[in-house]
Parts: sequence; C-alpha cells; structure tokens
Amino acid sequence: MRMAHPTRRHVLGGLGAAGLAGLAPRRLLAQPTPVSLQLSWLHSVQFAGSYIAQENGWWAERGLDVSLAPGGPNAPVEPPVVSGNALVGISAADYTAAAVAEGAPFKILMVAMQKNPFVVASLPDNPVNEPADLVGKSIGMALANTPVLEALCRINDVDIDEIEIVPTQYSAAPLLSGEVDCLLCWETDLPVAMAVQGQESVTMLMADHGYSVHSQTYIATEDSIANRRDQLVALLAGEVQGWTRYREDTEAAAQLTVDRFPDAGLDIETQTLQAERQVPLMFSDLTDENGFGWWTDETVQANIETLALLGRDVSPDLWDRSILEEVHGQ
Amino acid sequence: MSAIASEAPRRSWRPPAAVLGVLAILAVWELSARALAGAYLLAGPSDVTAYLWQNAGLMGRALRATLAEAAAGFVIGNAAAILLAALALLWPRAERGIAALALLVFCLPLVATGPILRVLFGPGPGPQITLAALAVYYTTLVPLLVGLRAAPSTWFDLVHSYGRGRLAELWHIRAMAALPYLFAGLQIAAPAAFLGAMVGEFTGAERGMGVLTIRAMRALDVEATWALAAVAALVSMAAYGAFGWLARRVLTEAPPVILAAPGGAATPRRGEGLARIAVVTVLALALWWGLLEAFGVNAFFAKRPDDVWAFLITAPDAGENRATLFGALAETAVYVLPGYLAGLALGAGLAVLLTLLPALAGAAMPVAIALRSVPIVTTAPLIVLVLGRGATGTVALVAVMVFFPTLIACLHGLRQAPGQVLDVFDAYASGRWRRLVHAQVPAMWPAFFATVRIAVPAAVLAVTVVEWLATGRGVGALMALSASLSDYGMLWSAVVVVAVLSCALYAVVAAVEARVLAIYAAEQGR
Amino acid sequence: MASSVPPPPPAIALDGLAKTFPGGVEAVAPTTLTLEAGRTTALVGPSGCGKSTILRLIAGLETPSAGGVDIAGEPPLAIRRRGELAVAFQDPSLLPWRSVRGNVALAMTLARRPTDPRAIDRLIDLVGLGGFGDTRPGALSGGMRQRAAIARCLVTEPRLLLLDEPFGAVDELTRRQLAQDLPRIWEARGTTTLLVTHSVSEAVTLADRILVFSPRPATVVADIDVPFERPRAPGLATRPEAIALAERVSSALAEGRAARERSLAAQ
Repeated sequence: MRMAHPTRRHVLGGLGAAGLAGLAPRRLLAQPTPVSLQLSWLHSVQFAGSYIAQENGWWAERGLDVSLAPGGPNAPVEPPVVSGNALVGISAADYTAAAVAEGAPFKILMVAMQKNPFVVASLPDNPVNEPADLVGKSIGMALANTPVLEALCRINDVDIDEIEIVPTQYSAAPLLSGEVDCLLCWETDLPVAMAVQGQESVTMLMADHGYSVHSQTYIATEDSIANRRDQLVALLAGEVQGWTRYREDTEAAAQLTVDRFPDAGLDIETQTLQAERQVPLMFSDLTDENGFGWWTDETVQANIETLALLGRDVSPDLWDRSILEEVHGQ
Repeated sequence: MSAIASEAPRRSWRPPAAVLGVLAILAVWELSARALAGAYLLAGPSDVTAYLWQNAGLMGRALRATLAEAAAGFVIGNAAAILLAALALLWPRAERGIAALALLVFCLPLVATGPILRVLFGPGPGPQITLAALAVYYTTLVPLLVGLRAAPSTWFDLVHSYGRGRLAELWHIRAMAALPYLFAGLQIAAPAAFLGAMVGEFTGAERGMGVLTIRAMRALDVEATWALAAVAALVSMAAYGAFGWLARRVLTEAPPVILAAPGGAATPRRGEGLARIAVVTVLALALWWGLLEAFGVNAFFAKRPDDVWAFLITAPDAGENRATLFGALAETAVYVLPGYLAGLALGAGLAVLLTLLPALAGAAMPVAIALRSVPIVTTAPLIVLVLGRGATGTVALVAVMVFFPTLIACLHGLRQAPGQVLDVFDAYASGRWRRLVHAQVPAMWPAFFATVRIAVPAAVLAVTVVEWLATGRGVGALMALSASLSDYGMLWSAVVVVAVLSCALYAVVAAVEARVLAIYAAEQGR
Repeated sequence: MASSVPPPPPAIALDGLAKTFPGGVEAVAPTTLTLEAGRTTALVGPSGCGKSTILRLIAGLETPSAGGVDIAGEPPLAIRRRGELAVAFQDPSLLPWRSVRGNVALAMTLARRPTDPRAIDRLIDLVGLGGFGDTRPGALSGGMRQRAAIARCLVTEPRLLLLDEPFGAVDELTRRQLAQDLPRIWEARGTTTLLVTHSVSEAVTLADRILVFSPRPATVVADIDVPFERPRAPGLATRPEAIALAERVSSALAEGRAARERSLAAQ
C-alpha cells in the first residue's frame, strides 16, 4: 500500500467560506475564514509543519481558521478537495496526475517532499544498496505498487523478472521474519519502526536512483486558484513558516505532535526519529535558495519522465507556482 | 413443563466448561506467542496484559470513542432492521423489494463506501457509525423476517376472529414470536458493529481503536496490536454474552409447534420474478442517482449509473476495463467460494456437534466468539504466516468470517425444535442422534438457510477486506488501487458488479431454500 | 363498555355455502340453513367431516367457494370488527409469553374493550383456574389450557360464540361442571352459540338444536330439536328422554356414514 492514502475534512461550510472571502477579502483580525486542509494520513510528525503553524497562530493572523483533517488507509485525498470540502489536500505527483487524467481540475501548488520517500529496505546481512542488488531477491510490497518497481528497474536497467514480488501487508514483519529479502516502503515509516524496535535496516532511497516523483504535494482546484487565491496564499504562507520552524528544531516538532494528539497512540521516540529522517527529503539546496516547497522546470521535467514510466502522460502545467511565488515574495 | 425443564441443560454455556475454554485459549495463545517470538506477529496474554496496564488511559479513551460509534451504529442499524421488517409485513407486496434493496446495500463493499461516506459526512464519527450500522442491519433483518412468521396459524385466526388486521397481528403475535430470532440477530450483530466502527475509522478519524490499530501495525508494535485485538474481542464477547443472558431471561417459553400446510407459497411464477428484478433494478438506479444528485456529490468520484454503463459498455476502452475487472473477480472467486462453503460446513457442523455433545459448548463457544471478534486486520498476517500467502490463507479467513454467524444461527435453529416434538422422541427413549436427525435438524432449516443467504455478502466482504489489507490480489485490491488512483469509474463498476453478483448468488440460495422450506417450514411462505 | 342493554343476538343464515380447498378437496357441500338467534346449535359429525370448516366460514376466517354467510343482515367481517364474535379454537392457541390472565385480557384488547380485571378474574375462577392467573400456559395441562381459552372467549361478552371442540382435552368431571356453568353465561345474555363437537352427549346437554353431518363433504343428514327446558338440570344426560335423543343422533350419524359409503361405492 502506498502511503499517501488520503482523508478529508470538511469546512464548516465551503459556501460560507467562499462567500465571506468574496465580500471581505483578507481583513486582518476579522472573523477568521474557516478552511480545511486534507492530510494524507493519520496525524503524525509527517504534518508537523501544519501543527506548528496552527499552534503559533500563523494562520489566524492571516485571517484563516484552518482545520486539519486526518487521513487513513481508506480515505482518498482527492474527493474532498474536488468537492470543495477541503481547500487544499496533501497528495503526491503520481496520484495527482492520475486524478487529473480522470478529469479532476487539480494543480500542484507546493512540494513538501522534494525527494520521493520510497525506499527499498533490507537487513544489513543481506543488504540492497543499489538497484542491481535486487536481482534474485524477493521483495514484499503491495501489488498496486508494481509500476513503481517497474519504473525503478527501467531507469536502472534491471530485469524485473529477476525479482520475486511477494504481495504483503504494509508491515516490516515479513522482512523480519525472513519471509522476504526486502520491502518497498517509505523511508519514514517502516524503517523507523524497525529502528525503534532495535532492528537496524539498510534503506536505498529510490529518489537517489532516478525515481523522481514529488511527494507530499499541496493540491487545489483551478476554481480555488481563481476564486480563493487569498486563502490559498495565506494557507501556504502558514505552512512555509511552520516547516521553516520545524527544520530549526525537529525534536520540538515531534514533542508538539505527541502533545497535540494524546489519543493518536504516538510515541516520542518514533516521532523524533521520523522527524529527523524527513529533513533530507524536504529540504535541499533548491529550497535553501528559493524557499520551502519550491521547484524548477528541471525538477518538473524529471518528474514528467518518471511519471511517463509509470504510465502517466503529464504536462508541465500540472504545476502552478504562482501562489508559492506570492508566498515567498511577501 | 417437561419441554422447559429439558431445555435448560441444553442451553449453551455452563460456567466451569467456559472457564476451561478460556484457560485453554489463553494457554495456546501464550505458547504460540512464545514460539513466534521475534517474528513480530503475535504477542501473548502476558505481554498484552502488561501493555494494557501501562497504557490504560490511552486504550480507555480509544475504547470509549469506538464503543460510542459502535453502539450508535448498533442501535441505528438494528432499529432500521426492525422498521424494515415491520414494513415488509404490513405491506407484503413490498417485502421482496425491500429485502432485495436491503441486500443490495449490504453488498456494497466498504472499501468503496468508506471514502464516499467520509465526503458526505465530513469530519466526526458519521462514517464510523454508518459503517457499523451497515454491518449489522441486514444480519438482523433476515432472521427477523423469519421470526416474524414463526407462529402457528391459529394465533392469527384468534386475532382475525376479533376483526383485527395485520397491525394487531404484528403487535400481539409476530413481535413476540420474533424475539428469539431477534436476539440471535443481535448476538451476531454485536461483534459486527464493533468491527464496522473500527474499519470506519480507516476513513480518517482522530481517535479510536481502529486508528490505534493502524498505527500499531505500522510501528511493529505487536503488544499494542494484540492488546487492541484482545480488547475488541473482549468487548464483542461481553456483548454476545450480555445478549445471550438477556435472551435467556426474556425467552423462558419453549418454541411453539408450527404446523403449516405445505405448498401454497414458494411458487412465484417466472414472469413475476423477472418483473420484480426489473422493479428493484429501477428502484436501485433511481436511489443511486437520486441520492447523489440530492446531496450534490461531485461526479469526479461519485459516479452515476450512466458513467458506469459507459465505463463498462460504451467507452472506447470498455473492453479493457471489463477484462481488468473480470480478471480480478475471477481471482477473487477462487478464494471466496471455497471459503464460503468451508465456513458454512464448519459452522453447521460445529452446531450439530455441540448439540450432540452439549458439554463441549462451554469450551467451544468462547473460542468461536474470539475467532470472530479479533479484527481481521490483526489476524490476517498471522493466518497468512501459518497458512501461507496462497489460497489457503485467504480461504481460511473467509471461512472464519462465514463460520461464526452460521454457528450461531444453526445453534439457535436447532433449539427451535418444539418441546412436544422432542417429548415424542423421549417417549421412545431415542438417542441424541435420532432426535437430531428427525426433529432438530429439520427445525434448523429456516435459520440455516437464512444464514446461508446472509453469509454470501459476508464472504464477499471478508474476501475484499483481506485482499485489500493483506494479499493485494483480486477485486478487493483492485478497488483499493482504483480509489488511490482516482479511477472511480473502475471503483464504482467494481462495486456494482460485486453487489449484483452477490445478489445473484443470494438468489440462487434463496431458490434452493424455497424448495426445502416448502416441506420443513411452510409457515415461512405465508 | 359492557352496556346494560345488550344488542339482540344475531341469527345466522347460510345461503348455498360451500367450500372446496385449492387442492380440490371438497370440505363443505352447498348448505342452506338458518341458525336462530339466541339459541345454541350443535354441529355433530365424524372427524374430518368439514364441520370446523363451516365454523371458520361463519367466522369469516375462510372464504367460501360458493354462497355466503349472513349474520343479522351483515357479512361476518362486520361483527368481527365490532368485537362481538368470539371463537374457541380446537387448539387453545394461548400465547406462550402471556400468563393466563394476560391471555384472557388479550381478547379484551383485541376486541377494543377497556380491560376489566375483575371480569377477567371472575371468568378465570369460573373455568376453575382460580389461583393460576399468573401462570404461563406452558406450565398448564392440556385441559387447563382449553379452559383458559374458554375464559378468553367469554370475557368479551360476545353476541356470537363459536366453539370448536372446546372440551376435547378437559377431564370428565370438569367437563360436567363446565357444561353446567358455561351455558348460564350465554343463556343470560341470549348469545347465539354454535358448538362443533363429535360428542353426542355434549350436544344433547348443551344444545337447543343438533345438526348431524355426513362424512366429508359436510352435508346435513338430520336436524334434531332438543326440547329440554333451560337451565338444564345436572342429571339431564342420564334421563331416559335424553338417552333416547342421543340414540337418534347416533343413528343419524351412522346413517349418514352408510349413505356416504353407498354413494362412494356406486361411483
């Protein structure tokens, strides 16, 4: 199963919000406009930047009352965004491309994970350090992710028929019990779980081997971009501010996450480690130079090439940087 | 009366055997956990107890959240079942239509309904409650429709002799006659509601046992995973026991002798059947389309009937779409049919065994309830480890889901043999086996067939959930994949085809049932 | 609502009444007769002759294949609707989840009368079930159940009373007592009563008129007037004239059977 399974949440009335915005564009300190941000998974440090923004009132001071809707394994992100229940959703370039192919009017506004978090995780005594090591091994993964592995093999000239694909649930148990040699998973979940259980693992980040798919991308509809631009700018500005603070102190971010969601069953050790491992995926020279969430024509081109291998025909105007430019221009 | 006196010891569990059964489970569980140590698949009762002790607050809050959702769903679902059953009796012409629509809704796979409910309800417990209600209403409706007819015709004559009609029949006779069947339905519903609420939390919830289960499984936290499963199982067992206790308190009378003239009913003409299918189809399509339009649900993910038609029939790539869908269905069928049959055989077989050897019931019932109550999400990896990822594991999981309702329904059915009839056997000092073959098994048929029908959607539900969460094959995985790739044309087509196929299979069972019941329980045709 | 001036009991007219069941079984041959208002008529015939079917036709619980039933100028449904009819079925048909008292009270509820606990207890005492008011039917003997059913039938003070083998399971001693006590109730109210029985002596003791039926399909083979004064004396059945009357009924029964066998043999 891929990580970015969605969820939703509802604005206390999308209509009311839109109406209010139309009448009174961005009145500071006025009644804040309720909007919803649809997260792609359960609450965790994966979305800590949002919690920091909320905790510090960085949205409130921009006139927004943002509710953060958790996702889950059976909660796609795209429907609430299309239906207007959520102003912005957290998706990934491949999912967004698929939705657009089905007629959804989405644009990618910001890219939180510059590097795709997919890894091949293995154990140190039988490691997969580079794609060629996959030959002759068994890999546990959701069959649905077969195109991802195919793309990786194509990029790196590995014969996928030499790899034994074992359909497994999304858990590290099949690797640890020796049922499979490696797993297709995210850098920030199963390897972290193994580490917390005291099991060292080797991870090969697919993004380091040519697999370029933007992840944790912020999407909105063309209609919102045209008519609720101020709210989008305010929402992303808060996010940028939140993630910038996150980078300064990931431990505090993890602590905040655990404190905010006492019922979510989060433990500080896992959250701290995950927060740490997210940093290299989210921040790069590119973002240092241009600001959080940035992309260039070159990274978009790399995405388009990888997406083509995944069977997605995508044009560069799937990405719309105008909102982000406004955010960073402030 | 002797009937009551001899009934009492036959009633399910006696404390000492139950205690032994529970102890046996605990011992096997602990030993298995120790044997599997290091595989991150199973935590034993000692670890689970320790975890619960240390995390009592967290578990308590999660339990409260999920329990509230499950209870609300339980009440709403069962109330809906009771209303539908009453409506069907007061307006007999509509009964088959109501039953068919109810079935169709029950056959909708939750992989697909979950996200749609989330969009409709927004944040909060709406989808959890709805899924819990959907998980129970049908398993209550079906036995209720049977029970509402389980009365001798002279009782109705009595009502008619005072010039009273269907309403008085329903109130004074049918309602009470149906109580034993209602209780059996409620006992089956209790674990289903809890699991429904947990799966509902997969659609995006802030808290609850389902949320914690996802988290724990990803985090390799086996203690937490099995602590959650144990709590879920305990809750289900407690609810099961509570309804059983209540039933024993309320239902002190032996079941009546029902001698209805055979024949008469169960001979619908061919044209009538086709007409009914047409009416139900039109109604279902109208409801489908009307509800989506009424709520203004966006057509991007909420496909209408014409979208599905286009996707499967008229679109340029319709052939390819059909091939994908039916390929997945074929994969699923390989698992679901053997699992379904195995579950039925196991359930009915165990019920018969427990009737022959009542001493065993006390020990076996807790095991059976535990098997059904532990969330499939938790057990799936374990069963897959033991039985492998091939067909056996999936078949076993489907069988487990089918087996429990069958067992409960058959046990209840076997108890419906009237005391007077059993007295006849006692008079000849007939052995248990003869009683079973000549009196109890025939009395069981209505309940058995009711469960055979119910088990069709239950098996489909089970297999799609297992495919979605564990094996990644078949139509369950296809639906999950379609949802994540926004391929809602495929998702809705899969939902429609799965629901229609489930209904078709159900209809086949119903046809067999009609033939058998025309002999053994003619009152069911009234 | 037990009004002080009860409406007069109805006369019942059967006009060509016949019943053939769907399988082709002819239960009642076309029958035309009148049952006088306020009198007790016994239908006597061999088992399975269709007399119970006639009772059910009069109650409107079966639809006739031909002809009709007229109760004081109305169809059966009208009198049922007003709760003025009561039937004691062959099977006591007590609801197992209600006590004796509850079962008797049910009749008042069904007949839309306010429940009168004193009337209920009086009847329970009358049928000899005093002290069993709170007992559920499951704990009663067959005869006691039948008596409870009789109490249920009388509690609504019906204008038309249909009794289908009401004493079948009652012991001899109680049966005699009931045969003494019960008619007083309907005599006092002038209830039109129809008694289906295969007991000749029961018919002679209880009825004003006895219709003897042939084996199936039911046809009247004798219409015998019972000239004894009311209230009937306790020892009536042993009096010579009663024994003579019973003989007449028995020979009519035997004749009816012989005639039916002859006609079957001729076919």
